[in-house]
Amino acid sequence: MPFFNVIKWIVWKDLLSEIRSRETISSLFFFALNVILIFSFSFSADRDIMPILIPGLIWVAFGFTSIIGLGKSFLAETHHDCLLYLQMAPISKGAIYLGKLSGNLLLMMIVEIILFPMMILFFNLDILAKLPALLLVSFLATTGLSALGTLFSALTVQTRAREVMFPLLLLPLSVPVFIGAVESTAGVLNGQAFSFYRHWVELLFVFDMVVTITSFWVFEFILND
Amino acid sequence: MVSLLSENVSHAYGFFHALKGVSLEINPGDCFALFGPNGAGKTTLMKIFATLLSPTQGQLSILGKDAVRDRDTVRASIFFVGHGSFLYDDLTAIENIEFAIGIRGRLPPLNEIKTVLDRVGIGAYASQKTRTLSAGMQKRLSLAKTILAQPELILFDEPYTALDENGVEMMHQVIRDFLARGAAVILSSHDRAKTAQIANRAGLLHHKTLKEIPLTDLQNALF
Repeated sequence: MPFFNVIKWIVWKDLLSEIRSRETISSLFFFALNVILIFSFSFSADRDIMPILIPGLIWVAFGFTSIIGLGKSFLAETHHDCLLYLQMAPISKGAIYLGKLSGNLLLMMIVEIILFPMMILFFNLDILAKLPALLLVSFLATTGLSALGTLFSALTVQTRAREVMFPLLLLPLSVPVFIGAVESTAGVLNGQAFSFYRHWVELLFVFDMVVTITSFWVFEFILND
Repeated sequence: MVSLLSENVSHAYGFFHALKGVSLEINPGDCFALFGPNGAGKTTLMKIFATLLSPTQGQLSILGKDAVRDRDTVRASIFFVGHGSFLYDDLTAIENIEFAIGIRGRLPPLNEIKTVLDRVGIGAYASQKTRTLSAGMQKRLSLAKTILAQPELILFDEPYTALDENGVEMMHQVIRDFLARGAAVILSSHDRAKTAQIANRAGLLHHKTLKEIPLTDLQNALF
């Protein structure tokens, strides 16, 4: 299947490059760790307010870490005109999008999985029983951010004001992801029944679907024109 | 079948006309050298031939297919070697080839890749990251990718940049092999002497239009 072959090659290339250079993963990890540490020390005195703040703190750390990583997603393709090669290749441009999205998602999930134990430690969380639900929310929200981020990274990578344009486009449109992620995380951490926060999880799922399908379709035009 | 047929192809960037009415027919076995002063529109024309830009006027067909309507089909048969090396710094020479050719749907066996790398003179560097290779070696690696892609129309934009004398001779031998098996080659270059050794036809892009010139006049052509 040539379509899935393209996705496989893009993911292989992106992960292998990242494993060798560790450029993105190390900056993401230390940024997120700093955010967690700062919040941990800022709010450690007031134990009562912590449970209310934690969902927001988690998504400030994860969300902004994602933005840093996603902004660099297409940067490697501009070196040595690699993007030009992908444009000229007789392949589905949508498959390139799905490959880049999968690579970004994997990278973000690895960072989040490393950071979860640190959050448990610094915020004194008792979440082992809630981990599957928390990982599901994390996966859906990270997929939404990655889907949007991959699209805007491709759109802005060849613009002069890339650093300004990327967050300007991404942040307003990712508001539904942040709201859904914070509300779902609060539901999970507070031990509520799934039916209480189900609509937020559904919002994340629908957002992921709409953005991924739209971006897949639009990507053909972005790379070809 | 004609390898490339350009009929009155023009291109404009907004109100600026980069090319006007370029007509050209390239047949299998042709090696066409494209010359012109800076800003004449060589890169624009090469990008149109590589299907990266669409003509704003005129018709372009490659191997009998419309280059705009059947773009993806056409792209499977052409290969563009441009200013950039299209290489990923953190992948090795072999991995770069595997990615570049694999993504096009044909993964050559490892021994075939190594044979081609030996042929272009960088077999000893096959497992090195490409960031450690010199510009000349990267050019040779691009040539190895071109050989393995087995295209029917090859577009070279400034192919001699960074190549030493051996590299130029090796590139000419590779081009001769392409031509012998019926592929067509278009070379865009400023180096008349080197290009004259390999090309069998030449054209001068001047004042945004293309004029075919005899190879014997190449050294005297003013541009």
